[in-house]
Amino acid sequence: MKTTSEIDRKLQGSLLMRRRVEGDRLLLADAVLLAALDGSRPLSAGERAALQASPLTARRLRTLALARRGTRAAANDGRWQGSHGMLRAADGGAALRQLATDDGYWRLHFVDGAGAPRVILQLAPEAPFAARLLREAALLRVLDGAGAEVLQGRLDADGECECAWPFADAPAAHFQRHGAAFSVLPVS
Amino acid sequence: MRLPGTRYQEPGWEQVRKLLGACSLEAFVRVDPAALLAPAPRADTLALYVDTLAESLHAAGRTARAAAAGNGYGETVGELALGLAYELAARPADWDAFRTALAAEHARAPGFWRQAGGEALLRKKVNDMFALLRDKVDADNYQAACGRPCSPNRIYAYRMLDTAYGEIARLFAGWREHTAQVGAILGRPVDVSLPIEVRQLQSIAGCRPEWIMRWSESLERFTGSPGPLHTKSKRFESVKNSPGKIAAMLAEIGEYEALSGNRDADWLHDQDTAGAWIEDYWRVLDESAQGATPGPDLILEARQDEMDGMEDMGAAAAANAPAHAAAIDDDPLEAVRAEAVSLPPGFLSAARAAEDPGSWAGRMLGDCSLPVRLAVYLKLLGGADDSYPDAWHDPATGALPTMQQLAALDAVSLPTLRKRRDAAIAMLEAAPRTGG
Repeated sequence: MKTTSEIDRKLQGSLLMRRRVEGDRLLLADAVLLAALDGSRPLSAGERAALQASPLTARRLRTLALARRGTRAAANDGRWQGSHGMLRAADGGAALRQLATDDGYWRLHFVDGAGAPRVILQLAPEAPFAARLLREAALLRVLDGAGAEVLQGRLDADGECECAWPFADAPAAHFQRHGAAFSVLPVS
Repeated sequence: MRLPGTRYQEPGWEQVRKLLGACSLEAFVRVDPAALLAPAPRADTLALYVDTLAESLHAAGRTARAAAAGNGYGETVGELALGLAYELAARPADWDAFRTALAAEHARAPGFWRQAGGEALLRKKVNDMFALLRDKVDADNYQAACGRPCSPNRIYAYRMLDTAYGEIARLFAGWREHTAQVGAILGRPVDVSLPIEVRQLQSIAGCRPEWIMRWSESLERFTGSPGPLHTKSKRFESVKNSPGKIAAMLAEIGEYEALSGNRDADWLHDQDTAGAWIEDYWRVLDESAQGATPGPDLILEARQDEMDGMEDMGAAAAANAPAHAAAIDDDPLEAVRAEAVSLPPGFLSAARAAEDPGSWAGRMLGDCSLPVRLAVYLKLLGGADDSYPDAWHDPATGALPTMQQLAALDAVSLPTLRKRRDAAIAMLEAAPRTGG
């Protein structure tokens, strides 16, 4: 919708923050502002006018918005609740070599171990939660799109976890038949 | 004392107040106070005073007083003083009150500031203005930080309680010398053995409201002057006889002190300059414009009459803003002007090339000269900001050129540049946000 540059955003923010209105007060409750921020209840016309007319209420919105952004940043950083990925292009018959999660933090490698296929889960070292998962040797599992377990285990020091491919079908065929998706999840 | 969002309530305030007083007196040497009185227009005199004061504060920036810590968030006395000066610029009603006080004194004793003792009187009027302003500012800061209503008077009451606690703690610490007064506070006679309360009092959170009330009640007996809850003033009427309210306020001060004492600087603090939140602001407005929740409006203590007309103030200011045609276009004089203020000869054309003409500010300020546009950034975002292109920087300082340099670049006087800059800011404030 917009292509506002950082300098424009800062300028607009500064313009809003320096406004003062004599006798200003908080016109909207936190619950109203939070519901507008998370999109669950847009402001009514009167509330929108109040927000625009009251610099103090706009400052309160700013505090709440920054707190939300801060919480989200913290959630992305260190805490991890699972990653998901999909089988991408239609497989043209070639054997599936690897899959990646949408966030790019995990890869599944498929190798042919002398007739017995194996699957390797690999954690990207740049993942924000990598250090914690390695330190805690967290127990992880990989599920296919239908919820069946592909793998369960703990990461080794290289951030990998390997086991035998548990299904009769080859990986490409199996994922195609079971939702064409997979998840990497912490076992709590 | 620290409360969520407040910046001017710690002991460093004393130095902020002194710095504002000293720099104001300097400013009044350069600008005769008589020139600030009516019929001189309010907006012009306010801008003149704030700019002169700000220059004086900048010049004092390296002194020991200005560089000292002003609060527990790491802001210096100089930064806090400058912040308050800029707050004043946005609050003409406070400036009016000051002008009225000045005019009244001037009517009694014309040119009093030039007479013996007049300087002290002038300083006191400045002190009074900023003392009121700091509580207004912090009441707003508190509301923005925690979403609870707060008035300047309430901030004053918090501070009174904090001071009272400090007094009680001091008396407790020297209880042997103050047995009678400590006894009056505790409400029972104190003999030679250490009262248990004295040992237990560790922080303001442990201070009981009845001690505050008895301390205030008995203060006149011990010192000759009445306690803050026992003067004729109505100031503390609402808490005076409400131990519950006092207890809650003491607990709040204590709680936040413990919390903020354990954290690093500036959490929950109005220092974040990142612009990301503005996206949230526009989104909230856009979503409401596209699909507003049908009424009723959930507006706190809705007083519609009070809000009528507020939105039009910026528009009126913009209507008065004169349009300035872009005067300089590859002007050979540019290079001369730039060199006269120690900037590279190609400064203006390089700075112009580095601007994004499609940006919101670029479009809105297109009719202003480049020095005026840079003056707008200088005022709103400061001399150094990581969003500035390199070509805007004076290579000697690594920051935007100063107002003096910009005025020379624009071939106008400093007051004219200030006027044009402030008109441009008024225009931005009133501007509809188009396309972003």
